[in-house]
Amino acid sequence: MARDKNSEDFIGPIRKLLVGVLVLALVGLFLVWRIDSPRVERLRAAAIDAVVPSFDWAMAPITGAANMISDFQSYQQLRAQNQDLRRELQQMKAWKEAALQLEQENAKLLDLNNVSLDPQLTVVTGVVITDSGSPFRQSVLVNVGARDGIIDGWPTMDAIGLVGRIAGVGQNTSRVMLLTDTSSRIPVTIQPSGQKAILAGDNSLNPPLEFLEDTALVRPGDRVVSSGDGGVFPADLLVGQVALGTDDRLRVRLAADYQRLEFLRVMRSQPHEEIADPDGLLAPEAEFFGPAGINPASLTTSERGDG
Amino acid sequence: MAERTDSRIWVQRGLFVLLAFVLIVVDLVPLDMRPSLWVSPDLLLAATLVWVARQPSYIPVIVVALLFLMTDFLFMRPPGLWAALVVILTELIRRQHREFRNMPLLVEWGTIAFGVVVITVVNRITLAIVMSPQAPLGLTLIEMMATILVYPVVVLVAHFVFGVTRTSPGEIGSRGQVL
Repeated sequence: MARDKNSEDFIGPIRKLLVGVLVLALVGLFLVWRIDSPRVERLRAAAIDAVVPSFDWAMAPITGAANMISDFQSYQQLRAQNQDLRRELQQMKAWKEAALQLEQENAKLLDLNNVSLDPQLTVVTGVVITDSGSPFRQSVLVNVGARDGIIDGWPTMDAIGLVGRIAGVGQNTSRVMLLTDTSSRIPVTIQPSGQKAILAGDNSLNPPLEFLEDTALVRPGDRVVSSGDGGVFPADLLVGQVALGTDDRLRVRLAADYQRLEFLRVMRSQPHEEIADPDGLLAPEAEFFGPAGINPASLTTSERGDG
Repeated sequence: MAERTDSRIWVQRGLFVLLAFVLIVVDLVPLDMRPSLWVSPDLLLAATLVWVARQPSYIPVIVVALLFLMTDFLFMRPPGLWAALVVILTELIRRQHREFRNMPLLVEWGTIAFGVVVITVVNRITLAIVMSPQAPLGLTLIEMMATILVYPVVVLVAHFVFGVTRTSPGEIGSRGQVL
């Protein structure tokens, strides 16, 4: 602001006071966040909900330009890519045949066993609007929210594998915390050995497996699926493959394509039914063993024997 | 004459807000969700510091506060802390901007680098004291170094593209006052 020296002397203290109040307000907000995090996080979700969808028009040209550049790069390698794809296609044809046979066999076996897979698992598909904007947090914003019935904690997949879970729901948007985020912890099972472990994000592309009981049973290449422990996630969602990291830790090569997350499927996972009364279900009835109790089964057989 | 100068300040203020908006949107565009091994500099912080050191009248303190509070919200940082630190740093630089006019760029750069290091360290210490989850130390240091290194580049861009230059000694404002 253009002002002369005299008026600055006059305005100075007031301005200083206002700046002080401003800084105090910001620090106060930080302290409130630390003390009552959920409330401020809801405020954050509401703020993002109001602001971000209106950025769409500004992002379209940038995304378009980036796509054009990557398309251009792929034109350059067109020939090599074509050959690679052809070779891959040959292999895939064999796999497709095998998959079809297995699918039929699987259907038959499921039918024979009369298995009912979880029928309540339906999905809501959303489009990724923005990423977290910071290199330290791994999360994306999708354009479905409370309006579409999204609830905190629901698992999110791309076409193939698990991507993350819902952490923060606004009216029109919700935030998906990716498996690579440092605060992401997912209970997983490793097939075929059935070992349980925790997939712990550490801000790297291949998150490590923690709390493995017996590492000898796990080999690189094993499938990793969600285990459903803790009732957070439904079981058997594909996560990825075990791989041995350069630091000799067992890590997971994620099945989801993190390079281009565009459409995400949010699984409507229903809470588990609680078995509230385990005694009545499993244990024998009380009078069965009591000294005064008469065994109804033996009673009926003895009566029958009499009669 | 007076009106033209006043309107120029308002145009420059609008220009800075527009630039900040573009920088934020570029950060938010979802291109690649793989965690990165390197970090790009915090261009918004660098631009703010350049503007405050060169032409503080172009960004009022309230703009700095609101802008960084918004990025705190958008980029999932603890809300308020980083914004408060940046406001304090810009206020200190704003008070010194008259001295910067007569100094070589190197001194200005050194002062601002020191300021950036201090607010980064204070930010980390505060988060450690309140036991809040922290970003990885390595990435934070890389970002800090990158932001400091990019400062002269931003100075050049601000000078030649946006016309943000130091006020030369003896220049007077719209009402004939000493700047």
